[in-house]
Amino acid sequence: MKKIIAILLVFVMTLSMVACSSTKEQSSETTNATTGESTTAELTESDVTISVAAIETAYGSEGWVKVAEAFTAQTGIKVELTTDKNLEDLIGPAMQGGEFPDVIHLATGRPAGLTEQFIKDNNIADITDVLSMTVPGENGKVSEKIAGGFTDTSLTNPYGDGKTYLAPMFYSPCGLFYNAGLFEEKGWEVPTTWDEMWTLGETAKAEGISLFTYPTAGYFDAFLYSLMYSVGGADFFDAATHYEAGIWDTDEANQIFGIIGKLASYTNPITPAQANNQDFTQNQQLVLDNKALFMPNGTWIVGEMAEAPRADGFKWGMTALPAVSKGEAGYSYSWFEQAWIPAGAENIDAAKAFIAFLYSDVATEIFAQYGAIQPVLGIAEKLEGDNVMFYSIYDNGAKSAMGNFAAYDAIPGVETSSVFFEPVNSLVSGELTVNEWLENIKSVNDQLRENLK
Amino acid sequence: MKKSIGRSSFILLCVAPAVILFTVFMILPTINVFRMSLFQRGAYSPGETFVGFDNFIYLINDAQFIRSMQNTILLIVVVTLITFCTALVFAAILTRENVKGQNFFRIVFYIPNILSIVVISGIFSAIYKPENGMLNSIIGLFTNMSNPILWKGEKLVMVSIIIAMVWQAVGYYLVMYMASMSSIPESLYESASLEGASRFTQFFQITIPLIWTNIRTTLTFFIISTINMAFLFVKSMTSGGPNGASEVALGYMYSQKDAGLFGYSMAIGVMIFLFSFALSALVNKVTKRDVLEY
Repeated sequence: MKKIIAILLVFVMTLSMVACSSTKEQSSETTNATTGESTTAELTESDVTISVAAIETAYGSEGWVKVAEAFTAQTGIKVELTTDKNLEDLIGPAMQGGEFPDVIHLATGRPAGLTEQFIKDNNIADITDVLSMTVPGENGKVSEKIAGGFTDTSLTNPYGDGKTYLAPMFYSPCGLFYNAGLFEEKGWEVPTTWDEMWTLGETAKAEGISLFTYPTAGYFDAFLYSLMYSVGGADFFDAATHYEAGIWDTDEANQIFGIIGKLASYTNPITPAQANNQDFTQNQQLVLDNKALFMPNGTWIVGEMAEAPRADGFKWGMTALPAVSKGEAGYSYSWFEQAWIPAGAENIDAAKAFIAFLYSDVATEIFAQYGAIQPVLGIAEKLEGDNVMFYSIYDNGAKSAMGNFAAYDAIPGVETSSVFFEPVNSLVSGELTVNEWLENIKSVNDQLRENLK
Repeated sequence: MKKSIGRSSFILLCVAPAVILFTVFMILPTINVFRMSLFQRGAYSPGETFVGFDNFIYLINDAQFIRSMQNTILLIVVVTLITFCTALVFAAILTRENVKGQNFFRIVFYIPNILSIVVISGIFSAIYKPENGMLNSIIGLFTNMSNPILWKGEKLVMVSIIIAMVWQAVGYYLVMYMASMSSIPESLYESASLEGASRFTQFFQITIPLIWTNIRTTLTFFIISTINMAFLFVKSMTSGGPNGASEVALGYMYSQKDAGLFGYSMAIGVMIFLFSFALSALVNKVTKRDVLEY
């Protein structure tokens, strides 16, 4: 009798364990369904199913659902789509177990640094051949559709070996955002050189307005890249982003940090206390409330602050970074997200077809409806609203800055963000001087160069 | 004999699921953390390289790690001290004195404990806001502030985190101390007061010695929970900023994983593991007293 009871109890326990595990599976399926994206349509003849993981940003996830459906309709390849605001947390555990999505769409510079980790590990599939592939459903090649310059930056060719590993996706010109209404009201001119900027800083100070603020120190990446271009041109940018010896001892480097130091003194003093993921919108609010004139940002700011209260007559304006001297062009950084294929993906060929399809007229139009603009030729005609003004920045004389700090083998305790961007908080709050910052950069620069990929 | 074998196998079968689960989900991962701390690898790397104790050698010279450990120790000491004293005093007042609305206070103190950390960080974001924030507005009533106090600025950020952590933790420990205080027989206090012992003497001579076992247990809780909670608070309130000023050990471990240094972050994990283990053991040893019966 006891034996029977024992067997029964064990059976019940085993059953409960099995029940638990099946609930888990079920719940993960639900997650997929609620994040919006299931495309396990049975109407296609192909047996291939690719899994696509895309970050959900200010543009939402609807566009991805529609594009995935359009891709299945076009090629017969099914798509299992996962989108989430914290995509890294969702797909990370499975990838640690060796299960990779076939296509990942993310941006570099995110705190979780997933793309950077794959670059450091040489864990991304080469997609150079995608450029010469014909776009599914069209006659042209992918390379004929992507705008010039976007496939030969360090963001798409991280190893500088002439091969493309990341496909350029939604892009946004970054620059200084301001309240154009306030400038009209006060009769101020938008500065085109740094000297004019400092003059405006004094004028604004007299009115109780700070010249500058920034959402978080992370937004300094686009700012610093543009500044490097405008002070030292493409040569200096390349040397600095490849950690060339002595590059931070040059006149250009001193000039760059001279500008940053002066700008810090014109920055709204409460900025560093709010420059974190929890409170950064309060820094952006400073511009909407006319408490600061300029902030570095991207075109997504309009959607991000759409519901926020603002000063009367507020109107978004955007300008390139001022030039160093009169007559020279200002620079605006082209920030873009990337789609790529993990080297461990199962269906690399189908994934390549999907990436090629992302540049089709159908896909670009769907994405554009949600404000996500891809660097494809002729996209200007699909722009609406504020985007028309933002994306015309290069037509109005600004030069485009592209690229980022070159990939390096991970070094314990050393990251480009904590070396080049984060210290701006301490600079503004007076805990650090420009020279101390520059000295720290010089000492880390050699380490970065030795570990360059 | 046969009966005893049957009994043993029954017990074995009953215990087996828990033992298996514990081994698979607790012991093996912990061993794995120790193993991975000896390798150089990213979180998603296909391969790994054995580097011996290199990760630990780097760690000792890593200024950011040292700063994050300093912050963690600061939080453990200060949060424990303030929470411990506050909870003990309020628990004594609520159990020993005839306070009106005793239950109401108990609930008020306990509420922060059931709120999620993200909600708490939202609340404190509004309290610490430099302009129009609650704290600065109240201070502004009494003094003339020319510049707002930057609660989340580099100088004060740790103080701000301490305040939030104490606010969150007091209720939990208060309830624990109240539970053990209320079980002390009333007669002890009566005889003490007949002999002329003041409230303070009663508190230090009767209450504290009689709840000592409970206090010892909570001290271990303090160490473990402060290490864990500090990570959650810092992550949601300041993301470790400004410029790393509020980074704590677990947060640094997390950020190093994201920097592609999974092995290194596991080495940090090992250090935290050993540190909390050693500290708990030390506190346990130092606070060891003969158990008083009543």
